[in-house]
Amino acid sequence: MDVFFQQLVNGLTIGSMYALIALGYTMVYGVLKLINFAHGDLVALAAYVGLTIYTQMVGASAPSIWFVLFMFIASALIIAIVGVLLERAAYRPLRKAPRLSAVVSALGASMMIQNGIMLIWGAQIKIFPADIIPNKTFNVSGVVVTSMQLIILCLSLVLMAGLYFYIHKTKTGTAIRASAIDQDAARLMGINVNRVIVTIFVLGSSLGAVGGLFIGMFYRGIYFNMGWIYGLNAFVAAIIGGIGNIPGAMVGGMLLGLFNAMIAGYVSSAWSDAFTYLLLIAILVFRPTGILGERVAEKV
Amino acid sequence: MKNRALILYTLFIIFLCVFPFMADSKWSAVGTTFLIYAVVALSQDIVLGRAGMFDMGHAIFFGVGAYSTAILNTAYGIPIFWTIPVAIILPIIVGLAIATPIVHLRGDYLLVTMIGFNIVFEQVLANNVFGLTGGPNGIFGISFPSLFGWRFDSQNEIYLLAFVLFLLTLLVIRNLETSRAGRALHYIKADSLAAECVGINDRFYRLYAFGIGAGIAGVAGSLFAVQYSAVSPEAFNFLQSVLFFSIVIVGGPSSIPGILLGTFVMFVLPEIFRELATARYFVFGIAMILAMVLRPRGIWPYNFGKMPKFVKEEH
Repeated sequence: MDVFFQQLVNGLTIGSMYALIALGYTMVYGVLKLINFAHGDLVALAAYVGLTIYTQMVGASAPSIWFVLFMFIASALIIAIVGVLLERAAYRPLRKAPRLSAVVSALGASMMIQNGIMLIWGAQIKIFPADIIPNKTFNVSGVVVTSMQLIILCLSLVLMAGLYFYIHKTKTGTAIRASAIDQDAARLMGINVNRVIVTIFVLGSSLGAVGGLFIGMFYRGIYFNMGWIYGLNAFVAAIIGGIGNIPGAMVGGMLLGLFNAMIAGYVSSAWSDAFTYLLLIAILVFRPTGILGERVAEKV
Repeated sequence: MKNRALILYTLFIIFLCVFPFMADSKWSAVGTTFLIYAVVALSQDIVLGRAGMFDMGHAIFFGVGAYSTAILNTAYGIPIFWTIPVAIILPIIVGLAIATPIVHLRGDYLLVTMIGFNIVFEQVLANNVFGLTGGPNGIFGISFPSLFGWRFDSQNEIYLLAFVLFLLTLLVIRNLETSRAGRALHYIKADSLAAECVGINDRFYRLYAFGIGAGIAGVAGSLFAVQYSAVSPEAFNFLQSVLFFSIVIVGGPSSIPGILLGTFVMFVLPEIFRELATARYFVFGIAMILAMVLRPRGIWPYNFGKMPKFVKEEH
């Protein structure tokens, strides 16, 4: 039973990172109906930018918790700007084009960011410092929880709750939901859809940036093409929850994290990817709209 | 217009004929791989461009073909040419098995499922499931093909095989284009509901497209195994599928010259700029975005005859 609870904690930690990244995919897909393949690479870029900012500051003076906070805010801002620029340059011109053209454009953007990271920071693995936040472990009757895991879980939950309220209680949030349902109708109601899309890219990219920093702090090793793996997993999470559905991405992320951790704990970690995708295939075959997705009548 | 296309095709095929005599063995190898990739891209186009199904896992079928040849040849000592029927039929079976439960899925869902299958496929190969696939390093030492006592053991002779396969593929695609099945695929792509209303068996033709696409990719895979005399999982991973997918979209779906041009741009150009080593894929990514922004329907899009403009816009 200890294994179970240990993997439960691990799974929730991984799951909350997936959930943060998945939100970026699901919001973009909801409004643009585009799989933003570059999102995973933005996440990786965030980890690199954050690490650089942190090491620059620590080089100047003694480490403090404010540096970590600054690292989060600065990298989230930078990644948000990159995300908006990407939308402007690579996706907006293709909004009226065949859908696959935008997908290939996204793949190109992903390749560009990935290799851009490699050109700037090199192809070797970079290591996050271990003492970025005070390292404490709590032992709750055999289940080990680290302070890092607690921080990741709490912060993710706070961010997700914040996003949920933003989407459901504010005017801009309503505009985002309206644009996701029908862009043309939203435009007729006086919603500036372009601004909504920019907002989405700001929100998605900065949440993804936080996810990327968590990945860096939790796993510590970051490499230039890690965006593919985490990005795809997060995308799977978005689909499991029902793509385009914001609470769905959160639930899907947590479920996928738990599933991964249980497979790693009970079966074998060499097969965890295969199991992830078998789960995905099973879900798509039997319930293509995801767990929380609503069945919408659509032209088949 | 028809004549110009014919002249261009003739010139291109003459160029392919004389190419191995002008090139050294390195470029002849690049030329062979170009032909193999062009065949795979054309087979991907049957599913993606002609039937309009977002298949981002075509490397699976390419890989099944390559591994069939490699395993039958190295483990059971069967001559290469005798493995080719298996390298066609097995990918078709795999293709139908994969496609049957998912062909009804809409665009992006199909795309993601195919990515999923491709990742599972890669893990199956890398984890050496039945002790046959050789694990992460793959299989080495595939022998040269021989026919009636003639051994195809130089690069130019393998080029010749690839060239023959390429011509056969063009023939198959031309026939498909002008056949009942090709028109059915076109209808399905344009509007599957309307297609079903005029009596086209939607599901059957979707599977048909997957079957043909997988079979052709399988032969190409078999030749790929011969060309490198080795196969390994990363030659058939999901990034490879992304490459084939992008070739079709960048070149121009359903357009044969477009796809050949796409293969050239996406595979040969990076080979030419190999000196730039690290920066080339960065530039390549930017080029992909630019190509799509400037030519959203592909570099050499397919022209549907004299259709009014508003009909074309629909695609």
